[in-house]
Amino acid sequence: MTTPAARPLLSAAHSSERTSDDGAPPRQPRPPLSAPAVTPLVQRLPAADEAPNTAMPATKVDIRNVNFFYGKFQALHDISLPLYDRRVTAFIGPSGCGKSTLLRILNRIYELYPGQVATGEVYLDGANILRPGLDVNRLRAKIGMVFQKPTPFPMSIYDNVAFGIGLYEKLPKSELDDRVESAVRRAALWDEVKDKLRDSGLSLSGGQQQRLCIARAIAIEPEVLLLDEPASALDPISTQRIEELIAELKTDYCIAIVTHNMQQAARSSDYTAFLYLGELVEFDDTERIFTHPRERRTEDYITGRFG
Amino acid sequence: MATDTTIITGQASTERHGAFGDVVFRSLTLLFALLVLVVLGGVILSLVSGALPALEHFGLRFLVTEAWNPVTEKFGALAPVYGTLVTSAIAMLIGIPVAFGVALFITELCPNWLKRPLSTMIELLAAIPSIIYGIWGLFVLAPFVQEHIEPALIGTLGAIPGIGMLFEGPPLGIGVLTAGFILAIMVLPFISSVMRDVFETVPTVLRESTYALGATTTEVVWRVVLPYTRIGVFGGILLGLGRALGETMAVTFVIGNSHHIHASILQPGTTISAALANEFTEAVGDLYLSSLIALGLILFVITFIVLALAKLLLIRLERQAGKAT
Amino acid sequence: MELYSRRRLTNWLVIGLSVVATAFGLLWLALVLSTLLINGVGAIGPSLFTQMTPPPGSSGGLLNAIAGSLVMTLIATLIGTPTGILAGTFLAEYARGSRFGEVVRFVNDILLSAPSIIIGLFVYEVMVVRMGHFSAWAGAVALAIITIPVVVRTTEDMLRLVPSALREAAAALGAPQWKVIVMVTYRAAAQGMMTGVLLAIARISGETAPLLFTALNNQFWSGDLNGPMANLPVVIFQFAMSPYADWQRLAWGGALLITASILVLNITARLLAAWSSFKQ
Repeated sequence: MTTPAARPLLSAAHSSERTSDDGAPPRQPRPPLSAPAVTPLVQRLPAADEAPNTAMPATKVDIRNVNFFYGKFQALHDISLPLYDRRVTAFIGPSGCGKSTLLRILNRIYELYPGQVATGEVYLDGANILRPGLDVNRLRAKIGMVFQKPTPFPMSIYDNVAFGIGLYEKLPKSELDDRVESAVRRAALWDEVKDKLRDSGLSLSGGQQQRLCIARAIAIEPEVLLLDEPASALDPISTQRIEELIAELKTDYCIAIVTHNMQQAARSSDYTAFLYLGELVEFDDTERIFTHPRERRTEDYITGRFG
Repeated sequence: MATDTTIITGQASTERHGAFGDVVFRSLTLLFALLVLVVLGGVILSLVSGALPALEHFGLRFLVTEAWNPVTEKFGALAPVYGTLVTSAIAMLIGIPVAFGVALFITELCPNWLKRPLSTMIELLAAIPSIIYGIWGLFVLAPFVQEHIEPALIGTLGAIPGIGMLFEGPPLGIGVLTAGFILAIMVLPFISSVMRDVFETVPTVLRESTYALGATTTEVVWRVVLPYTRIGVFGGILLGLGRALGETMAVTFVIGNSHHIHASILQPGTTISAALANEFTEAVGDLYLSSLIALGLILFVITFIVLALAKLLLIRLERQAGKAT
Repeated sequence: MELYSRRRLTNWLVIGLSVVATAFGLLWLALVLSTLLINGVGAIGPSLFTQMTPPPGSSGGLLNAIAGSLVMTLIATLIGTPTGILAGTFLAEYARGSRFGEVVRFVNDILLSAPSIIIGLFVYEVMVVRMGHFSAWAGAVALAIITIPVVVRTTEDMLRLVPSALREAAAALGAPQWKVIVMVTYRAAAQGMMTGVLLAIARISGETAPLLFTALNNQFWSGDLNGPMANLPVVIFQFAMSPYADWQRLAWGGALLITASILVLNITARLLAAWSSFKQ
């Protein structure tokens, strides 16, 4: 059960360490603990060119009272937390705690499998995306996902990236070329593949394939990126490159990342949610959680007493 | 922005992007899946309707009458059914042990580099069409059997009282024995390949621990592998039987096409499929045709039962394997 | 020690017998293929491919039979392949756990192993009797009905091998299910599905019984699909059972031709399967 106190508080005064890259607003002093903060649930449709609010990070996705069932088994219990725009939020916890399950609710990918049910609400810019009757395919154009194992399609590198674009837009070749190039560049892959765009996506190395999957996801210009342990199948060097990439990408997207690697969560994320046995135990600034966790269980997990 | 924001402001359309394509495609695949059922239904219906005149005319006596006379229009299924069962029995008697030997060799004794080419070659036996076995049987095997095998059999086993009557009569080359033998060669790859597949599902740990106790290869296979895989093995045998029962062209060439029952397997006979192949296109008279179709119906029922049993066993095997993993 | 030596003896006996059994199987393969080669090669020559089937006593070729077989096999493949692929897609993508899917799969496997002569009887009743005459169309339909279960089976098996992560990745981009299947899953399984089609073609190339009741045979060249059409298997049947030497020679030639094509198709299918798993 999450208490109001566990809900996101505004950033504290440790902003000096965080030399955030362009666009991230400077942190504000945290309001006193006694007044539980309420996240803005305002019907805001942020225009693409609006300068980010310097007062507080906007809530892009608001998860409220979400429960999840695999058939009769309840995997998530009354989860509520926000995901802030242009920030990275990490979901951590031991195996089976429900972090991937939670992530997969956000783009309703669980609906591919009968018997899996989610209740509660998830607000994207103020509208509930768990609502029946929603166009799920269009939702997935706004919320992109990258999986644990790199999954390049059996087509050329170019076609892989163009695949998603072609689902929604009919573009002339030159414009399509530009979009593909821009996505591949943003995924830090361009220099390695610019001469072999017609080669099969399967011919790339593991790390390159994963960056291809990232390029593919961002090519359709989503607003939210869900990353499910994106580097766990990769070697350390590729992992580092992915982490660098995430740091660059967060200026443009709201990112949620599931990771079983705590150091990675500490390095890469702004906010961290610790889940255990399907419950949200604690949610806070990453730095705060890793230095002064409020819950005993959080502290035990972080210090390696279990997990 | 690639997508418009109407989805979020609450005016989401209930029409999903691409939903029409989904409905069309799904319906299309469903349609063709139903077609498979329709074909089976059609087969059953057409056989029954074609056989009805003969069955009504002869009643159940049809199954036990040996006579087959187009002139007097007296037909009976006994000889073809008997021939089908006996040739298949011979095929199983020879084929099962040989298939087992092949499977044993490939899974336990064969060096690794030989496994693939050897299995491919055995499977080529299954790829050769029935008619090829037929002409080979007629021109090569039958004369050989006539000159060497049958005289030997008559001389040795034919003299023993009791089973001697299985080996009576002049050596003709063609006949029930030759047909059964060719069937054995034809079903051997099917049975062997199923056996091989199930043998390979036995966990290596189980095999190794049995070897570690000092067991010989034979004991490992006989005492551990076979009992572990007996359901699959039985299913494979039934599959082979189903094939043997329905084989047409190979049998037609060498069975001799005689609508009589003999105790001796050296005599000619007929099977359901051979009778159909030989006589259908020249059959005149509705009762003649209908009797032939009735034979087809009987064959279909027999093979359906055998194949359904095989399939059920193999499904049960998959479920067990699923539970174990 | 008596028990021990008995066990050893049994073991050697069984091993010996299994080697004999394997050699036995290979022996027959070698015998059949070599006989085919020896007897058939004499008939292979330009005339085989340029002349029609002759009346008994004169020389000729198998041109009309070869052409007829090619035409009917082609039509059967054109009918049977899309049908089989779509039905197999249904089983793999829409009906994985369902009862209905189990029933369809069960029926499909029965049809797969059912005697092909029964299929011939069925098409005879449904088409030949209705139309009043034998026809190449009926022959093609009978062959198509034999093709379908093979393609359904291999399509379903190959589609199931495609990892679900690939489907999820396509769905996560917002692709509707039919696009996921057609643009991603089919591409991933393409080589395996092609192998299935090749194996189906190999299977129907040698089928005689169904053609006996549907397309029958034709002494002459016929372009008319609505009438009986010559085909290799039935010609071989007729010529081999006859007492005429030149007919028998042609029968062996035709048999060699069919077997060679089937072997080529089988080997191509295997190479394709090996190549696709190598690429993975």
